[in-house]
Amino acid sequence: MLVNRVRELRAKFNLTQGELAKKIGVTRQTIVSLEKGSYVPSLLLAMNIAEVFNEPIEKIFYKRE
Amino acid sequence: MKLYFTVILRSLLYVSLAVMVYEFVRVEQYFELLGRGYIDGFSVNIGNQAGQIFVVITIILVILNVLQLLVMKKNKQAKVEDYILPEYDASDERSVEITGKSVRFAFVFVLLYSFLILGSYMFVPNYFLDYVWYPMFTTASIPVVGLIVYLISFKVLYSR
Repeated sequence: MLVNRVRELRAKFNLTQGELAKKIGVTRQTIVSLEKGSYVPSLLLAMNIAEVFNEPIEKIFYKRE
Repeated sequence: MKLYFTVILRSLLYVSLAVMVYEFVRVEQYFELLGRGYIDGFSVNIGNQAGQIFVVITIILVILNVLQLLVMKKNKQAKVEDYILPEYDASDERSVEITGKSVRFAFVFVLLYSFLILGSYMFVPNYFLDYVWYPMFTTASIPVVGLIVYLISFKVLYSR
């Protein structure tokens, strides 16, 4: 299962879901699904998120057994 | 909201086309019956409302298509090839994925529904005499049902 730290990092960077969505070019609903873990993003979207938070992808998205 | 609007418009387009074709076929059938001597005369009222509705809906759908294409071209994240009809949401990658899944659901449903509709002709063998509307409206119901299944699937998947 793929888990992510998007919610945690978004709070750290003081961004709303809407602001983050706008920065990476998706809808707010996509951020909601991403944070709930019900949506697995594409590599491009993951890279865009990593770019916003200035962290390597593997530090944001990782597998949990 | 946009999806509801386009699905309703598209459904109305098919229904208005069915009404238009039905009215034409009905009059043609009267002429055919008259020509073959089954009836001595007939009277019909011919209106152009169905045709006008059809033309207006077609124009609105074409305008929507062009507007959406322009909006899509501005959005750098969206691929224009993901968008064909205004019903297709390609605003982001998740919408594209959900659109694909919803189209699959709709396709399966249309296959099953068409099978049932085709079979239903066995139960209405005299449709060409007493139920002239039957073939037009059942044919129109196939895309309408497909659109409704698409809309429901999209909304359910999108809300997850």
